[in-house]
Amino acid sequence: MNAPVEAYIALSSILFFIGIVGVIARRNPLIQLMSVELLFNSANLALVTFARTWGNNVGHIFAFLVITVAAAEAAIGLAIVAIVFRKTTFVDVDEVATLKG
Amino acid sequence: MTHPLLILIWLGPLVGAMLLWTFGPQLRTLAGPIASALVGVSFLAAVSEWSSATLIDGAMQGVREPLFAWLPQFAFGLQWDRISLVWTLIITGVGFLIHVYSIGYMSGERAFARFFAYLNFFVFAMLTLVLSDNVVGLLVGWGLVGLASYLLIGYYIERPSAVAASRKAFVINVVGDVGILFAVFVIVAKVGAIGYGDVFGKLAAFTPAELFIVCLALFIGAAAKSAQVPLHTWLPDAMEGPTPVSALIHAATMVTAGVYLIARFAPLWSASSDARMLAGSIGALTALTGAILGCAQWDIKRILAYSTMSQIGYMIMGVGVGAYDAGILHFLTHAFFKAQLFLGAGIIIHNLGNEQDVRKMGGLRKQMPFAFSAMLIGVCAICGVPGFSGFFSKDAVLTETLAHGHPVMWLVGVITAGLTAYYMSRMLYVTFFGAYRGNIDPSELGMRHPELAGTAASPDHHPEADDHGHAHAPAWLMSGPVALLMIPSTLIGWLAFGGDASPWSRYFAPVFPADVPVAGTPPDWVTSALVLALIVAGAGVAYLRYGNARALVDAIPRLRTEAVRMPAVLVNAFYFDSAIDALFVKPAQAVGRWFGSVVDPHVIDAGVREASISANWLGHLFRSFETGLVRAYALTIAFGVACFAIYYVVIGVAR
Repeated sequence: MNAPVEAYIALSSILFFIGIVGVIARRNPLIQLMSVELLFNSANLALVTFARTWGNNVGHIFAFLVITVAAAEAAIGLAIVAIVFRKTTFVDVDEVATLKG
Repeated sequence: MTHPLLILIWLGPLVGAMLLWTFGPQLRTLAGPIASALVGVSFLAAVSEWSSATLIDGAMQGVREPLFAWLPQFAFGLQWDRISLVWTLIITGVGFLIHVYSIGYMSGERAFARFFAYLNFFVFAMLTLVLSDNVVGLLVGWGLVGLASYLLIGYYIERPSAVAASRKAFVINVVGDVGILFAVFVIVAKVGAIGYGDVFGKLAAFTPAELFIVCLALFIGAAAKSAQVPLHTWLPDAMEGPTPVSALIHAATMVTAGVYLIARFAPLWSASSDARMLAGSIGALTALTGAILGCAQWDIKRILAYSTMSQIGYMIMGVGVGAYDAGILHFLTHAFFKAQLFLGAGIIIHNLGNEQDVRKMGGLRKQMPFAFSAMLIGVCAICGVPGFSGFFSKDAVLTETLAHGHPVMWLVGVITAGLTAYYMSRMLYVTFFGAYRGNIDPSELGMRHPELAGTAASPDHHPEADDHGHAHAPAWLMSGPVALLMIPSTLIGWLAFGGDASPWSRYFAPVFPADVPVAGTPPDWVTSALVLALIVAGAGVAYLRYGNARALVDAIPRLRTEAVRMPAVLVNAFYFDSAIDALFVKPAQAVGRWFGSVVDPHVIDAGVREASISANWLGHLFRSFETGLVRAYALTIAFGVACFAIYYVVIGVAR
């Protein structure tokens, strides 16, 4: 635990950008969901880092909250993907655009 | 509740109205007796409550029954004093007789219960008006009697002329309501209270100009309700209602509400001589106008309507010049004799199968001796034959007008008395003398006149007219009330016999400011003698034209000639209707048409249309964002987050 705070934040940023690029650039919904998990966990890392740095437990609590939300998100997201896949056998989210305005 | 009887007087008729409105179809013919009984109870309660007002001498306020207070200065309650006592006794007493009469007159009508519900509701509304102890309650009653009048004029809802007449009456009455509303606004703004006692106790709060404005606004209300020139045009049309309604509302009670109003606000009027001048002049003008137009009518109810208007002109003149007790006395006598005249006319109309044109009558003296005696006594009373009630009240009004220093109004009133004798005698001769003309061809009688197009009875007058035969109520139901009315319409005037020492003057002495006669007034007998001479002259002219043997023999050609040669100005009732039409109705219609052709399509519709078009356009704009591409959404969100991040970084740097 001797690494400086900047290292944690740098790792968190790197994970966040990987996640962003994964959500935007990839078309496979499963990869996108995994990228979203990366986003969550980069945020968790930053929260825990700051919490430890400032000695404030609110960051820990928020991290737990984010984990809970991430679990729910994954469950719902996978369920949607499974249902849509059964209907259309898609591999590309861009083809799922029936709600286009 | 110190005076429970007051509550009973007030709410009894309302209970009847609600009962008949709710259970009318079930009650059928019981509706009439129930309605009559409730008004009768109200009358008995008023009689037994009589003493509590008269025992308190010198009190303008009488007794009060507080109901509830909205704010400290805005308390509502009932007031029982010498003025409201007179009106309440007339409303419930004459009202009861007319209710009983209506059971006979209206028997066989389809909407029997509805009629009595309206009639009871009217009595309640009128009692609200006269029993209220504050200006707001007065205004509420004022509006409610207008509504009751509207409902009853338009009672024959299947007859377009009745519906039009009721609408006209309502609109003109609302003009008056607005006047009273305005007066109430000014009073509340200046005094900060609504009770009569509070208002009259703070007269110093008004400047003379404000007093005049309040009186003027009140007078607009009085003029509209009491058919004063130029707001009188609804009253002749109101004769479209059933005859008992004409007797109760448009002769005995509601149309005298203007007299009540001025008498009630006597302290205000006494303080504003301009307002008194205005009211007296309009009253005199109305008396003359009504009498002149009464000479030119052929419909028996319209003759009586114009005579009502003329007599109310006398009353308004009386209370207007400050002779409050004389004006109220004329209201009292008029309520009896005019109700009797209308009910007598109702008997004729009823028995002739709804014939109202006097030219189709004639010779009814032998057919209907009772109706003849009723009409004869009524005519004697209204003309002011000595001994009959009208003699005392009309003389009181005229002598007091002169004593208050208004010789021009006095002269107009005296001339009107002569005209009254003429047109009432004319009605009597044409209706009751000579030979019966009901089977004469209408064109022989000159009945093709435009004036008569709407007023002459047509076969579809009452849809139930033919059903009357089997559903005739006992005759005493109609003749009994008329017979009872004959007593007061003959005798009631003697109350005022004896000048200032008479019971009537002593009764009102504590209420109204004492009369201050102008010096140099001729003695009262001059007025009486002059009026008597004119009455004899008027009746004499009527006798020569309609009553003597030669006139009776060739009555048919004479009536035809008169109808055909009737001046257009009289046929059109001095063009009041046309003038109101041209001044108010036509411009209002033009404005309405302009709004309909310009504002509505080009502003309102266009606004709605433009709103829908722009909503459509905005939708087209925003739908381009909804690509359906999840990744594009993610990019947008990322972009937004980046913007936030940059913003906070910049803020952080700035700090």
